[in-house]
Amino acid sequence: MHLHLAGHLAWYDAQKRAHLEIHLAEPTRLLTLLRQLGVPPEEIAIVVVNDAPVTLDARVCDTDRVELFPPVGGGSA
Amino acid sequence: MSYGYTGKILRVDLTRATIQIETRDDAFYRLYPGGKAIAAYFLVRELPPHTEPFAPENRLMLANGLLTGAPFSTATRYTAAARSPLTRAYGESEAGGFWGPELRMAGWDAILITGRAESPVYLWIRDDHVEIRDARHLWGRDPLEVQETIRTAHNDPLIRVLQIGIAGENRVRYAALTNDLRHFNGRNGIGAVMGSKNLRAIAVRGTTRYLDRAYDPQPIAELGRALAQRVKVHPQSWDLQDKGTPGLMDSLNAAGILPTRNFHQGAFEGIDALRWVEYEKHLLTARRSCYACAVRCKREVRLDGQVSAYGGPEYETLDSLGPNCGIGDLHALARANELCNRYLLDSISTGSTIAFAMECFEHGLIGLKETDGIELRFGNADAMLKMIEMIARRQGIGDLLAEGVRRAAETIGGDAREFAMHVKGQELPMHDPRGKVGIGIGYAISENGADHLTSAHDPTIANPDSITFKGGQPLGIEAVPSRELSERKVRNYYILENWTSAGKVLGLCFFGPAPRSFIQVDEVVGAVRAATGWDVTTQDILRIGERATNLARMFNAREGFSHKDDTLPNRLFQPLENGALAGAFISRPDFERALVELYRLKGWDAKGTPTREKLRELGIEWAADSSQ
Repeated sequence: MHLHLAGHLAWYDAQKRAHLEIHLAEPTRLLTLLRQLGVPPEEIAIVVVNDAPVTLDARVCDTDRVELFPPVGGGSA
Repeated sequence: MSYGYTGKILRVDLTRATIQIETRDDAFYRLYPGGKAIAAYFLVRELPPHTEPFAPENRLMLANGLLTGAPFSTATRYTAAARSPLTRAYGESEAGGFWGPELRMAGWDAILITGRAESPVYLWIRDDHVEIRDARHLWGRDPLEVQETIRTAHNDPLIRVLQIGIAGENRVRYAALTNDLRHFNGRNGIGAVMGSKNLRAIAVRGTTRYLDRAYDPQPIAELGRALAQRVKVHPQSWDLQDKGTPGLMDSLNAAGILPTRNFHQGAFEGIDALRWVEYEKHLLTARRSCYACAVRCKREVRLDGQVSAYGGPEYETLDSLGPNCGIGDLHALARANELCNRYLLDSISTGSTIAFAMECFEHGLIGLKETDGIELRFGNADAMLKMIEMIARRQGIGDLLAEGVRRAAETIGGDAREFAMHVKGQELPMHDPRGKVGIGIGYAISENGADHLTSAHDPTIANPDSITFKGGQPLGIEAVPSRELSERKVRNYYILENWTSAGKVLGLCFFGPAPRSFIQVDEVVGAVRAATGWDVTTQDILRIGERATNLARMFNAREGFSHKDDTLPNRLFQPLENGALAGAFISRPDFERALVELYRLKGWDAKGTPTREKLRELGIEWAADSSQ
């Protein structure tokens, strides 16, 4: 899975990476994944999986492209 | 005894070639501590009503914030102000960099310039030594050459040069000023006012220290050290250092509020070429700073294999000349940025004006005859670059576009007025209020026309658990969704407008204090206390900001501005065409109700004018009489 942590969300990655490749053995709920990565959900305004907006409850799998955007630039509808 | 400020204001009359020193006491500075407050005070107090912006009598104010030059991050800003040739209203633009701190080190809080020199001059200030010098050899030259020539003439490479470029010389109504070639007072056409005075530059060298004038230097020095360490451990300041404002392109596009094709759309199909990862790979050479600032949000870029002397494009520039003109060519945008910065054009108004012209061209309101054969269509990067040249030099259709979108639309006629995205004559910045409605309130109500830095942006205070909201919470705000246009949104706007205005009085960058970034509310209050010895509270700081805004509003009331001018372009009341917010629009009745509520909160009458009672409460009742 490719994960893009936009804006200040990259700060929460231990190595401050904006783009990460993560191997998922099975479909995983985004909130669970974020807890493992240490990215706080309250800092996320927009979630996009394979170019479609979703919520943090969505499940993602190994072939997905996931983008997380912070609220500084814009908010959710 | 007085502390923090220098107590000295420099008066220069270019017609008479006279220089005077004026001193003010502590009672003055408690009401008008610096920056926007000092600028608005002198413009309301001294500028004769209905003075034409390009008349010699117009005042050009350059005023440091109270804390400008203090050795901690983001205390770098100064205000450039005058009656604006773009809006004919109170005109103002802030910048960071190095010039403001240098002026403070030279011992001055502000400079008030009136008159017009017979031939081009520059002002040379070295501490108490002030001199008007011949600048005929500098007129028409590039800023880099002007800066080098002045530094060489005075044999000092540390001289800080504030200057205009050929756009200001040619009185383009949105001409900018620069200091150190990379920091800009972009908005409101203050550069054109400076040009109309035949004043090319103000060169400054100072040798005193801010801390020597502070009431208690130790807390200020400690704050400087604390912020230098915090910058990398606070997510917001880290992000500003890592990516700077260009990092916003991604997020605004995903949110569906990246102004695209003159605000028709909120998402750009060519965004991939404009993401930060591409900027970092193809353009970035270094991260640069303003005076004593650890954030280092300024970008340095390479162009044609060489480092540009004029800095790298910021977010506003990338979008206004990029997606807003339908353009996704990063190298063309870096070139456009350098052109704007070399000619000293405001890149926001330049991009908005070119986008307007492109829409006019596509609708047949102007044709190849008017454009000298240029296919001025959305997406044509070569045409965009050519237009920048023509605007700066006022060549061909550039002469019309140099007047800004409001005047150009009046000349072109027909539907062109619907394509002119402005408020009070100033072109919209690159934030679509359909996704953050508080920004729309700010665009409408700002005394200097559409301005994106009047208050916090809605998304930063939408989630009660976010770092940004928690940072702003001591101000008394509540969490409100970005698109909610309600009484509580208006109340947030009011509080945060006062706070943001206070930043312009104190000389702090928008990227310093909470909620946007890493300086906490109590640290701002503490810095003012330490600098001045004043026993101030958070409420006092909010009041300082509110007073400055009300003074500027009184300037506008005198010039005939009222509630009828507090509006938005029609397009923002219509649905966005694409992106995450496709179909979203601002409800006009909700918007009008919000303004009525805001006037009430502010203590303004139904026409949007501060009441005498409000002015008395703010200690500026004199302003009510001066406007009649």
